[in-house]
Formats: sequence, C-alpha cells, structure tokens
Amino acid sequence: MAPPAKAITSPVPDAWYPTLAVLMLAIGLVLTASFFIYEATSSKRNRSLAKELTTGGVASVFLGFGSLFLLLSAGVYV
Amino acid sequence: MESFRFCFLMLTIAILASPALSDLVLSKVDRRIYLTSHIVRISSTVKVENAGPEKESLVLLAFPEQQAKNMAYLMATPHEGKGKVKNPVVALPVEAANPKDMPAALTFYSISLPMGLAEGDSFTFDVLAVFTHALRPIPEQITQADIQLVLYQDSAHYLSPYAVKVQSLSVKLPDSRIESYTKLENTKIHGSEIKYGPYENLPSFSYSPIAVHFESNLPFSVAQELVREIEISHWGNVQVTEHYKLIHGGAQSKGEFSRLDFLARPNVRGASAFRYLVANLPPRAHSVYYRDEIGNISTSHLRGDSKKTELLIEPRYPMFGGWRTAFTIGYGLPLQDFLYESDRKRFLNITFSSPMVELVIDALIVKVVLPEGSSDISVAAPFPVEQWQETKISHLDIDGRPVVVLKKTNVVPEHNQFFQVYYHFSQLSMLREPLMLISGFFFFFVACIVYMHADISISKSSASYLAKQQWEEVQAVIQQVQNIISRCLTTHDNLEASLRDLSRTGNIQACKAARKAADGLLKELSKELKPLLTFLQSSPSAAQVLPKVEELVAKERELQEKVMVKHATVVDGYEKKLGACDIENRVALQQQKLTALRQEVDDLLEFIDEI
Repeated sequence: MAPPAKAITSPVPDAWYPTLAVLMLAIGLVLTASFFIYEATSSKRNRSLAKELTTGGVASVFLGFGSLFLLLSAGVYV
Repeated sequence: MESFRFCFLMLTIAILASPALSDLVLSKVDRRIYLTSHIVRISSTVKVENAGPEKESLVLLAFPEQQAKNMAYLMATPHEGKGKVKNPVVALPVEAANPKDMPAALTFYSISLPMGLAEGDSFTFDVLAVFTHALRPIPEQITQADIQLVLYQDSAHYLSPYAVKVQSLSVKLPDSRIESYTKLENTKIHGSEIKYGPYENLPSFSYSPIAVHFESNLPFSVAQELVREIEISHWGNVQVTEHYKLIHGGAQSKGEFSRLDFLARPNVRGASAFRYLVANLPPRAHSVYYRDEIGNISTSHLRGDSKKTELLIEPRYPMFGGWRTAFTIGYGLPLQDFLYESDRKRFLNITFSSPMVELVIDALIVKVVLPEGSSDISVAAPFPVEQWQETKISHLDIDGRPVVVLKKTNVVPEHNQFFQVYYHFSQLSMLREPLMLISGFFFFFVACIVYMHADISISKSSASYLAKQQWEEVQAVIQQVQNIISRCLTTHDNLEASLRDLSRTGNIQACKAARKAADGLLKELSKELKPLLTFLQSSPSAAQVLPKVEELVAKERELQEKVMVKHATVVDGYEKKLGACDIENRVALQQQKLTALRQEVDDLLEFIDEI
C-alpha cells in the first residue's frame, strides 16, 4: 500500500480570517494615511524618496494581505 | 411485436449456438429484479461449477442487446453467506468480452475468478447490474389526474451461455397495483413481489420473455446534463458547484395543468409528479446555495449532523412528465476532508457523481479546477471516463488554472465512488495571490509618488511658474529653518533637564558636561542657520516672510542667552553651596522672562508654519 496520506490544511486557520482582515487593513490604512499626509505636507525639495517608498511598501504589504484575508473571510476563496 | 421477434431470434440462436462453450455449468442462479425505483437493478447470485477436466477461470455473462445498451453499471463480487461479518468486498474484475462463435445479438462480459476452477470445484458470486431508461411508460401520455403505468420486459429464464441446473427469479415492485404480468408455469405473486420458478435443468441460451405492467409514481428524475465543478483553494476550501438540467423521464404530461387541483389533492391530481429532490452532501458542508438563472430559490431545507448534510430542494414548480427545469446548487467543503499529501504529491479524494438520491445522469461532466501553478496532473478513476484538460481564468489569475475534465454518460448512484486527482504543487505558489494584491497596491503608491514628484507644467518659462519655483525653494528653506529652531529648543529642554538632575543628585560635573555638549550643538546649529538666512534675504519672494523669520531667529538667540545665564547662575549657586531656596529666588525673575520668550518663539513658529 501507499504511505499513509496526510491531510492538507490551510496555512492559516479559517477562523482567523476576519480578525486578520480587520487588523491588517486597519494598519494598512493608517500607514496609507501617513503616506498621504507626508506627501501633502512636506515641500517638494525636502521630500525623501526612500521614506515615501518604505511607507508605501509597508502599507501595500498590509493592505495586500488584509484584502486577501477579507476576500477569504467573505467566501471568495482565491 | 418487438419482443416476440426478439424471442424468435433468441430461439434460433439457442439452436444454432454450439452447445458446449466450455464445461462450466451454473448449478444455482437466484435473480432479483428491483423495480422499486426508476433505476432497474438486477442482483443475481450465481453458483458456477466446473464439470470438465480443464481448469477454468473466466465466466461469461450474457445480456441481450436491448438491455446492454441501457446498462449503466455492472459489478461482480464474491458471494458471502448471510450473517457473516461484512469484510470490505473486493470486486472481481469485469471486462467486455467478444467470444467467437457467439450470436451477435448478445453482449458479453467476462468475470475473472480469483482462482481457477479445477474439475468439480464450484464458486459463488454476486452480480449487480444497473439499468437506466429500462422502464417504458405505457400509456406514453397521461393527464394530471392519471397514474403512471410502466412496462418492464425481461426473460424468466436466466440468459447464459452455460446450462443452468436450478434457477429462480423474483421481481420486486413498488406497489401491489399491477396492471398485468406474464403468467408462466410456477408463477406466484405475493403482494408487490412476483416469483418465477424454480426452473430446473434448462439448456444454454434459454429465453422466455416476460412483461410486467405496473403502477410506479416514483420520481423519474433524470439529469440530461450535469456539470460539476470542483474548485480547490489551498486557503482552506473545496468549492463544489453543480449545474443541473433536469427532466421528469416518465410518461409525458398531456392536457392542461391545474395548480388548484394540484394543491387541493396532490396525491390524486399529480400523483406522477415529483415535488422535491434530496441531496446527501458530505458532512461539514457550508455556504450551501440553491439558485437558477432568475436568482435564489427559497424552497430548500438544510439539516446536518456529523455524518452527512441533507439538502432538500423543491423546484419552482412540481415536475410532471416531460417537464424540465434547470438549477444550480453549490456548497463549500473543508479542505482537510478531501485533500491529502502522499509521496510529495497532493491528491484530491472526492466522490465522482451527484449527491442527489436516485438520480440518473445522462451526461455527467466533472471539472476539477486545480490551483494555479499545479503540474503533473493525473487522474485515478474507478471506472473508464473520457478525459481532457482545460484552463480557467478565475480570481487573481495570470495564466489560468489547470482544469481536469472528466466525462461519463449514463451515470447512476452506484457510480458515486471516490476518485483521485494527483498533482504537484509548491507551497510557495500560494503566495501568488497576496503578492499580486501587494504589487497592485504598491503600484498605486508609486503612481502617487511619481505624480507628486513630476513637474507637469507646460510652459517652463512663464513668470508664474518661475515665481512658484522660487516660492517652493523659499518654503523648503523655511522648513529647514524651522527644523533647526526646533532642534535648538530641544537642546534648551535638555539643559533644563540637566538642571533638574542637578537639584536631585547634586552632580555638578554631569551638569557642566551637558552644558558643554549643548554649547557645541548650538554653535553648529547657528552655523547651519547662517546660509539659510542669507538665502532668504537675497530671495525676492521671501520678502513677506523674512521679517517674521528674522524675528524668530532673534528671539531664539535671546532665549538661548537667557537659558545659558540661568544655567550658569544655578550651577554657580550649587558650587557655592547655597541653599535651594536662595537659588530659586535668584532665578525666579529669569524664569519668568524665559517662559515669556518661549511662548513668543512658539507663537512665531506656529505663524510661520501656517504660511
């Protein structure tokens, strides 16, 4: 006989999806807000590209995972 | 009549066929025909005996052509006596056979016995044959008030290429209301069961047609086409969507349909119609829906326990003969119940056919949608199926998901067995979807950055453009000035803090060191401030802000001096070992001035900030 088969589960338990979605989207939106506040308030010459990119990058990671978990918790299994 | 002609044909076959195909003899055959559903099931217990000297391991089963074309399922298992513990029975291999010197009007299947039969040995096995569309409604058209009568034809004698010593046949009907049946010798009737036989010592290929005409108001639910889509998501779900095209396969409905009559006396005016269907979904099924092209159909009931989830659905209208309906049901299943990993390959293990009870499916298409990035796909099905591959574009896909399509015609509930789809999948491929979302958001941020940085004015030499450029430069410089001033203020705060430390610990050296560091820092800051101020003085567009900035710088300098004086006074007081009260009195006046100055500087900073 073949070796005993192991059941495959999701890497993140299903029950966590809504909590994770809310948490990560909240963090992501706060970072987005700080990104735009920085864009609007700092003058063109004093703006640092590295800071913009890191804020945007971290915000997009949180927003990306947050929206993925939002989709999953809504039943759209991607 | 067709059946009589067939009978003649069979008789000629019986005469022409060579009498001894092999030395096998069927010593006992028990046949039970179940007509209690619209799916006809014939279960036979056959005892085969080898009367010849040669070893035999193949047994042939014969079916007349008209039966063979309706046959959906054939299975042979070794017979286990009643009362024995039911071990998981292993089916005997059954193959379509084409033996020589046999009449063409018969279809043969051969069963391989687990071991060869030597002379005098015997072996008993069960054969289950399932037929669809084998019941013919007569009359073919009925009205709403009529009951449905169906006709079944078969042979009272077991049709076999071997001689049969003892045989009997029982026909089980759904109801004791029988319109007519063929009476032969040894025919008995018990309620809803008709018994033929026992008959003894019949030669090979004996055939004796019988016909049973009886009432059957069971649901003749036939799915002309069923498309099942099984979509795997490694994020924890197996989504099953089933699209049904259903027809009532019984006697055609004629005349008009009265909803009032149907509602008033549904068992009389609409006996042949069926109102609901039952689906036995796997346990822990969730997000079940039942809809059609219009939208949700609310007439459904769901209840579940740990063994199964039962879904009862009612079509939008009662189904009469020949009426059609199309609908979709869908449900989600937990991933860990159906997806496994073994030998570094993943496989889906799920039932092949529809969960509906007693449903005949004319054409079943099963689509298994694997996640994007799966490779090396192979299918293991317990029966032959047509198979090909497609791709499907779904949520967050780039090049589509691989789809395995399996097609089978004439499917009965017996086909609802597990099948496996094996594939290779790397865990990293799961990150495709989140990465796609992340890059989407990131591109948005990059676009914002580019927009904010890009200079998109058309005329680069116009006066207003130049003024704006200059103003921006001034703004940048003012921001820097503000920055420096606020750093100065922090230094002042540090000095104050060092004074508080001094009053607590009395460590004069530390306080002096703090003073030195602050001096150095302030000197540097004032050096940095100088070129900025000269720029502001030279720039024409800074004219209106300049006085305020200069005032700010002056006030700050004054504040700085005052702080230094206060610091020096306090340190001096401590060095002379004066009382705390004394020192307090000395700096009280200075402290007042300091607070006022600090207030002014803060006001100025705020004012400049607003420009």
